[in-house]
Parts: sequence; structure tokens; C-alpha cells
Amino acid sequence: MDCVTATVPQAGTDRPDYSALIQPERVHGSLYTDPRIFAEELERIWYRTWVYVGHESEVPQPGDYVRKNIGPQDLVMTRDREGQVHLLVNRCAHRANLVCEDERGNSNSFRCPYHGWTFRNNGELLGYPYHQGYGGRGKLNLGMATVPRVESYRGFVFGSFAEDGPTLTEHLGAAAGEIDRLCRLSPEGEVELNAGWLKHRTRANWKLLAENETDGYHPQFVHGSIFSVTGSPIGALYSEKSTAVTRDLGNGHSENDLRPEFRRHGEPMRWFGTTPDRVPDYVAKMRQAYGDEAEQILVEGAPHVMIFPNLFIAEIQVFVIQPLSVDECVQHSTAVQLKGAPELNRRMISQSIGSVGPAGMLLADDTEMYERNQVGAEQLRPEWLEIRRGMHRERVDERGLRVGTATDETGMRGFWSHYKTLMEDDK
Amino acid sequence: MSDEQDRPGVVVGPSSPEVVGSEFAEVAVSVDHEGNGPRLKLEDLRTGRVRYLDALELETVVWLPDGHLRQLLDPSAHRWREDK
Ligand code: FES
Ligand SMILES: [Fe+2]
Repeated sequence: MDCVTATVPQAGTDRPDYSALIQPERVHGSLYTDPRIFAEELERIWYRTWVYVGHESEVPQPGDYVRKNIGPQDLVMTRDREGQVHLLVNRCAHRANLVCEDERGNSNSFRCPYHGWTFRNNGELLGYPYHQGYGGRGKLNLGMATVPRVESYRGFVFGSFAEDGPTLTEHLGAAAGEIDRLCRLSPEGEVELNAGWLKHRTRANWKLLAENETDGYHPQFVHGSIFSVTGSPIGALYSEKSTAVTRDLGNGHSENDLRPEFRRHGEPMRWFGTTPDRVPDYVAKMRQAYGDEAEQILVEGAPHVMIFPNLFIAEIQVFVIQPLSVDECVQHSTAVQLKGAPELNRRMISQSIGSVGPAGMLLADDTEMYERNQVGAEQLRPEWLEIRRGMHRERVDERGLRVGTATDETGMRGFWSHYKTLMEDDK
Repeated sequence: MSDEQDRPGVVVGPSSPEVVGSEFAEVAVSVDHEGNGPRLKLEDLRTGRVRYLDALELETVVWLPDGHLRQLLDPSAHRWREDK
């Protein structure tokens, strides 16, 4: 078997044979390096399924806008006068100039700098200079394009370039509950992502990032230094003795469920590396808001969930993966902000700076691995990447979801099985 | 009138303008007191063109229906027309 060369085998068509490239125990290296496969991913994943774009809290006021993206597509997320959120494709309807250049701003309408066409922030054309060239005013029905489907879940805005397909609720499935878990850490039940974004350009295929986000096997190695410097108890969560689990949430989503460990200790705020007396206002507000339930919420803490294909909620941070080409992507990251929890929010920002900031220790470690991994995957032999760890000890939980131990590759297997479905889909 | 005006040795010029700007336009905004009553001074910083708006004109703008404003944002409504 090992000598089979599966580099984009031809199955009667020009299309790669994904069944040969994606096997239960291993995946082929070309999936990370072949530009043709990347082109198909754009078409079948990024420009078809639900992709996370931005958060409603980033455009709080009417007229607010932010530049966003779906893969290489440049988008503008806007809020109109009626409060509705829109996703526009950042391209002028006249001769395709980029309409918005600033990362963010407030403007109810946009003016293209090339020939001065103006558009409302829902994309509708307002007008063009020197109208006689078009036979008068209001003669053209040419607006900026919008992303066909936009839906949000608890403030998280997703877009799909497909006119129809599964609803966002169907796509999120069990992963929606993890977003709920994050929101209920706010005394007001709401998350905000308004602390600003850091961007890290990474010379690696986007899937190496998506797979790594719930890989509980690497933290003890790659992040050993940050754990020892900070005396963090996180390392132990990913040891072979840990009672934490890796769960395949379906539809390519996966999580490291750390709750069993936190429940075992039963200490409120341990998930945040602190104690209630250090954040008294927050704890008091939570107890007031949730009553008896507060204790459990404060013990169990925040989710660690990868939502296919690009949203990673890592307890106190959110990462968004933006692929640019087969071997390049951008990691966008920000600190989670919990509405009504200023005491915790300040700490989450400083912790995020420590882990993903310019001199941060966590993301730099991972990124070093991604870039080395990309170079490695470009080498010819042995062709395959392993995803079999813990297959023999996987079980199905009470919700019917596949579960492995803290260090098992259960999340990766879930990612690849969904990926294969999308890439082979004939519709 | 501000407190500084009454203090000896303090010379106060016209209120320094604030800029309402975006990537699409830059307009300096200040309240002008040269006349017998205050008026809003708007200066398009890209061309230097100035427009004053008195209280009644401002109230009219506040009450302008969105649809009218939208029509004015058509570049060929006034500023960029062949017949001008
Ligand atoms: S390309 Fe935008 S106005 Fe011409
Ligand atoms: Fe020119």
C-alpha cells in the first residue's frame, strides 16, 4: 500500500480522486500542496458552504462598516440605517475598482474613487457622474454584489456564496451549543468581538491550521515553554492522564472538551487560571444573573471549538483562518469580550497579547509548526500524513458524537470526512 | 462664551474645526460667530469650498427624508453634470 502514488489520480475526469487521497487512517500530502486542489476548495468549500465572516459588535452603529473576507474575496460588512447587517463584495459595479480601502469607518454610502459612482451601504447604486452618457439619471440597475446568504448566530455573522443549501443552523449543528457556552459566560449572555484584530500572515496551507486547533497531542511539546514560564495548568489538560476529550461535532467541527477536568477540580474560574476573589465583580454579576446555575458555568468555563472551515474559538480568543493560496493564509485573532464583564475583559486582552500579540508565545509556536509542516509536506516521501491516533479507543457519546481521549486525532478524522463529502459532492 | 475669553492675556481665535472624515470625504466642521447669530461652517477640505448653514437650514436637513438625501448623493444630481 505504501508505494501507491496517489498524486492527483485521474478517475476518468480531470478531478482528483478524493477517496484515494483521503483514507480513514491517513491523508495524502498533495492535499496541502496542489494548487488545483486549492482551486477546487475555493469553489466547493469557501464559495459554497457557510463561512464565518465577522461579528455584529464590529458594526454597532448604523453606517458602520469593516473590511472582511471569505478566503481571497474582499468583503465589506455594513450596518444600514434600519440596523440590518449586509455583506458586500468590495468591487465597483462600473469597472471593478476596489470601493472601500479603510479597514473600518462610518459611511451610509460609498463613492468609488475611479469614476465617482456612489452606492448605498446595502450595495444599491445611488448614481454616477455625467448621466447623459447613460441616457439620463437612474438608468442603470448595477449595484455592488452582495453575498447571497447572510445569517448570524448570537452575533456571529456567516456568509454563503451559494444561493441555497443547508441553513446556518443545519451547518452549525452541535457546534452551536459551544457558541452558546461562550455567550453564557457573559452576565448579559452576549459576546463582543470589538477589541481589534491582529493579523499573522502564515506560509502554510489553511488545513494545517484547522486540524491543529483541536489537536491535543501537540501542546505538551510545542507549548511546553509557555506552560513552564507561566506555570499554566493548561499543559496537564492535554496529558495522557487527562479526562478531557476530543469530540467530533459533525460537519467538520470539533472540540477539545476540557469540562471533565474542570469538573473534577470543581473550582470556579480555574478555566481562566484565576480564583473568584481576584475577579469579585464578575463572579457576583454572574451569580446574580444565573442563580444556582452560575457555579457550573464558572467551573466549566469556555469552549475550545473549531467551526468548519475557519472559526476557532479558543476559550478567551477567537481566530479566523483566511486562505490566500495553497501555501499561504492569514490568521486573524482577537480577544473575546464578554458584555457586562469589564473586569474579565481587561484580563482577556492582556492574556491575548501575551499569547497572540507581536511578542506573544502561543501563536508564534504554532505558526512555526505550520510553516515547517508546509515545507515538510512538499517533500516527496512518504507521501502521507497520519490521522489514526486513538482510532481503536474511540467511542460514541450519549449525543451520538464520536469521542476520543485528549490527545487523539478524532477531530482531524471528523474534519476530513466532512471535507471529503464536500469535495466529492456532485451537485 | 468660554471662560478663557474673560481671562487677561488669553486670545481666543475662531473655534478650531473638527473634521468629519472618511476615506470618501473630509469636511471641517465648526460653529462660526462672525455674524449676528451662530451658524455652522462646513469646509470641504478636498476643494476648499465652504458652506454656512443657519439654524433653520440645519433643522431642515434634520427633517429631510432619507429618499431626498439619497437623490442628492447621486453625483450627477448637481455637482457632476454635463450641463454645468
Ligand atoms: S470603476 Fe468604480 S466608478 Fe468606475
Ligand atoms: Fe490617468
